[in-house]
Amino acid sequence: MSQMLSPDMTIAAEAAAKVKIEVKNLNFYYGQSKALKDITLSLPERSVTAFIGPSGCGKSTLLRVFNRIYELYPNQTAEGQVLLDGQNVLDRSQDLNLLRTKIGMVFQKPTPFPMSIYENIAFGIRLYEKLSKSEMDGRVEQALKRAALWTEVKDKLSASGLSLSGGQQQRLCIARTVAVKPEVILLDEPASALDPLSTAKIEELIDELQADYTIVIVTHNMQQAARVSKQTAFMYLGELVEFDRTEKIFTSPREKRTQDYITGRFG
Amino acid sequence: MTTVSEAMPSLAAMQAREATVRRFALTDAIFRAATRFSAILVLLILGGVAISLFVGSWQAMSTFGVSFLTTESWNPVTEKFGALAPIYGTVVTAAISILIAVPIGIGIAIFLTELCPRPLRRPIGIAVELLAGIPSIIYGIWGLFIFAPFVQTTIQPFFINLFHDVPVLSSLFAGPPYGIGLLTSSMILAIMVLPFITSITKDVFDTVPAVLKESAYGIGCTTWEVTRRVVIPYTRVGIMGGVMLGLGRALGETMAVTFVIGNAHRISASLFAPGTTISATIANEFTEADGELYTSSLIALGLILFVITFLILAIARYMLMRIDRRTGA
Amino acid sequence: MSTATSLHRRRKTTNSLMMTLCLVAAGIGLAWLALILGALLYKGLAGLSVSVFTEMTPPPGDAGGLLNAIYGSVVMTVIAVIVGTPIGVLAGTYMAEYGRFSRLTTIVRFINDILLSAPSIIIGLFVYELLVRPMGHFSALAGSVALAILVIPVVVRTTEDMLNLVPNALREAGTAIGAPRWVVIKSVAYRAALSGIVTGILLSIARISGETAPLLFTALNNQFWSSNLNAPMASLPVTIFQFALSPYEEWQQLAWTGALIITLTVLALSIVARSLTGRREDK
Repeated sequence: MSQMLSPDMTIAAEAAAKVKIEVKNLNFYYGQSKALKDITLSLPERSVTAFIGPSGCGKSTLLRVFNRIYELYPNQTAEGQVLLDGQNVLDRSQDLNLLRTKIGMVFQKPTPFPMSIYENIAFGIRLYEKLSKSEMDGRVEQALKRAALWTEVKDKLSASGLSLSGGQQQRLCIARTVAVKPEVILLDEPASALDPLSTAKIEELIDELQADYTIVIVTHNMQQAARVSKQTAFMYLGELVEFDRTEKIFTSPREKRTQDYITGRFG
Repeated sequence: MTTVSEAMPSLAAMQAREATVRRFALTDAIFRAATRFSAILVLLILGGVAISLFVGSWQAMSTFGVSFLTTESWNPVTEKFGALAPIYGTVVTAAISILIAVPIGIGIAIFLTELCPRPLRRPIGIAVELLAGIPSIIYGIWGLFIFAPFVQTTIQPFFINLFHDVPVLSSLFAGPPYGIGLLTSSMILAIMVLPFITSITKDVFDTVPAVLKESAYGIGCTTWEVTRRVVIPYTRVGIMGGVMLGLGRALGETMAVTFVIGNAHRISASLFAPGTTISATIANEFTEADGELYTSSLIALGLILFVITFLILAIARYMLMRIDRRTGA
Repeated sequence: MSTATSLHRRRKTTNSLMMTLCLVAAGIGLAWLALILGALLYKGLAGLSVSVFTEMTPPPGDAGGLLNAIYGSVVMTVIAVIVGTPIGVLAGTYMAEYGRFSRLTTIVRFINDILLSAPSIIIGLFVYELLVRPMGHFSALAGSVALAILVIPVVVRTTEDMLNLVPNALREAGTAIGAPRWVVIKSVAYRAALSGIVTGILLSIARISGETAPLLFTALNNQFWSSNLNAPMASLPVTIFQFALSPYEEWQQLAWTGALIITLTVLALSIVARSLTGRREDK
């Protein structure tokens, strides 16, 4: 295991970027069964990291540990450390709502709230900030522009979020996440329910967003990981098999299991 | 560095957020406590019902002891009270109503799931459920003014003539045709519980996996054979749950019965004779009961009804839960 | 070969016979509904006039209306809904949200289902012991409490069911932007389940608007106009009960008319409630 630690150090050094999230000896359990086994890795700031692997490998589980969303359900426990800017988010004293304002998340299926497009964005902002109407309008516009949705919805902001197409709904969810100004954005297979055109738009968006945010994306689509990410982690059966620059993972992986997976021999 | 300011809130903003977060945590704790208290209140209500009935009936129970359950006499003048007649009436009317309603209810459910043309299915299903929503007092007034006279002039003479030579049955269907009485009450009750049995049976029929039915049709079974050999065995527990639920209703039903039972504290062999049930006795006599012992005896009747229906309903819910668990998995 | 065909014929005959019986059963069910509604319309419409809604319940042998009874029913129903609905919604919220996986929820669900079908006259006895006896007199307040206890289980059940239908993904999304649980419940889950919860409330109103037994010895009855919540109050169902069993023709007529009013109210509420959830399913 320890020889796997060195490559990500080199990535961090190469990119000369600060480490944003550092995972140390993380184990995760669904009841009695162990879903993540001693995961250790570091994610650099303002860059895209992809988690790939066959379904059930634990990539989504790992993502759900970062913002502790798993705590909505009983019998799910995490052990170890997840450091966000050096602070362990798994600490009991960590306030979950505050954590989630710093780490936003976008889900596999679009999840617009049952309210208007405007309210979908304003909802999250209003939680923590008291803004005047015009300030709020500005923030909503800014968020929608950031998610490349503004031109499509600017004339129907009061329409229901549910009236949008699937791809638009997903960009609305990204806008909603960006609007509360997080530092990290977690994307859990954000394009798997979308058509190719919408997928391309989302990928373009991810590329733009990495200038400001640390982005972690879970995907089962290897081409997508190759296209959008700077570094890729390959996971298998709850273990982190290999973590390296994306280019390296897809051209000359060190591990045979990685090799087998990216060449389509299993999964 | 403009990009940094967009992504990261300032220190002051972070402090404001922390204050907000503390407020949120407090509100959340309060809201959670309020919902939890309300949930516990539901338990307290049932507990309160049990305790208040027990306390209220204490005097009657300590005066009469077990003989309360076995005595037929109900005499407010001499203050001698026994619950046997109302218990008998309650059990007999509920049992007969279930005997009438179960075959019809299951028949309607089969009709709705297997025979009914699709466009009619929903309207008829809704009509049956609307029947369940009609208040019992409506059944009562209808029973008293419309149904009882019909029973008196048509049904009762028919049965009396039919069975007057047959041993046992002749005493079961004997006596002057009053119109009101045990049988009329049972029939009204049957109409009332019918929708419950139908809608639950229909719901559990819908839980039968289509493949199971298709494979039975596939080996050449008729609709009836599929229903009889596949659907009903598969849903037996759920149907029993529905029947028990209907039985619970029939046992506790008050107003419809009060109108047509005749309110006579005696046990007669004939189903045409007036009788009484626990709930009808309480409804008729409670406000007029003078004397603590009289009131206490009526509450004791209520306690008996509560215990019986609680057991029946608990069994019903247990059976329906088993069906839910199977389909939920 | 011939035994095979005769067996086949017998099976087909059995099938036709049983299916015919099922058809007859459905016919009987619908015919009963038609008979009851027909009689109600026939008898009830005969006495329906403006005076029913403008005049008080008359003394025996006189003409009059049902105004005080209708007023009493409305007042007690409104109080019952105002008291019972928040408790029911909150309890249902606990069961579907905060306490979804707790043991308490399983127990409450079981007990609530029993309360849902418990005989309403028992609830009347309970409230008699709880309020009427200590206070020393019958009152509209006691009647309202009895009705509220009938509202609670209906609302608990539908609230829990409807919140359980809200996809978890929506809750996760709300949680993921930093909203605390109560905001997620209030702004996301309630909003998504709104029509279902309203349906539950309407159904509970439909249920209590015809309830007689729990009012008999809580609110009792009142021959006259009363808006005092601390005194006996007339209600439509109890008035119907009293009038129908009386020997006076005018009273019997008013009982039929009252029965028609209640039935139409209940049917209207049920149909509105159903159309609310129906529209939801179509989506």
